[in-house]
Amino acid sequence: MDNNEAPTFEPDLIRAIFKHFWIKKAQEREKNEFPNTEAVDSEVGAGTSKKNRPTSANANALKLSCELLRVFITEAVQRAGTIAEAEGSTKIEPTHLERILPQLLLDF
Amino acid sequence: MEVDEDRSDFEKDEEEEDGSVSDLLRDRFRLSAISIAEYEAKRNGMEISQPIVACIADLAFKYIGQLAKDLELFAHHAGRKSVTMADVIVSAHRNEHLAASLRSFSDELKAKEPQSERKRKKVPRKDDKAIDGIVLIPDL
Repeated sequence: MDNNEAPTFEPDLIRAIFKHFWIKKAQEREKNEFPNTEAVDSEVGAGTSKKNRPTSANANALKLSCELLRVFITEAVQRAGTIAEAEGSTKIEPTHLERILPQLLLDF
Repeated sequence: MEVDEDRSDFEKDEEEEDGSVSDLLRDRFRLSAISIAEYEAKRNGMEISQPIVACIADLAFKYIGQLAKDLELFAHHAGRKSVTMADVIVSAHRNEHLAASLRSFSDELKAKEPQSERKRKKVPRKDDKAIDGIVLIPDL
């Protein structure tokens, strides 16, 4: 892999972030299912109850997500760079990012 | 933030920690995102102003939140509790080029995986190294 030269995300970091979102979601689901139980219970139960166990991801899926996020960022920089070049400057300015943002968000 | 009296101290701690952990994660994510963006700008011979880099990092963080939701939905829709590479590829299905590039990346990952049995059977270990340089033509 070209890991040593090109910086990318660490799969562990991405896993931690995903987990953070998924645990939050799992707790919400639990709360919706048993609206009467105390919040304290769901705090503990989110990890233990079989049905509401938070989602997990396998290692390759995480690597692939890292790649997807890396591509997102490089695309943003490259597209903004193209606009900057077309305007004859070598510095990417906020206006350049503004110009490419709508299409970027549609593409991802 | 107000906390009800009947909630235990433990939970309060948990909540505080939760908040700080997510801040830490967000900052670590931003740092990685910034280094990627700066590297990419340098590679293209462009200068990039700091606010833009921060902006892109923020966009990427918003995107990862959306991605987390999507991946979970896809996995659950398939009746799984764990996200696989297929889910990640499906999340990019709107953009054919992106999906294609992810697919080839996933093939690379699969090929590299030493413990995947089915690949191993097809390509014996010895040929693995030679394969990228020369094409082996078996004698008949």
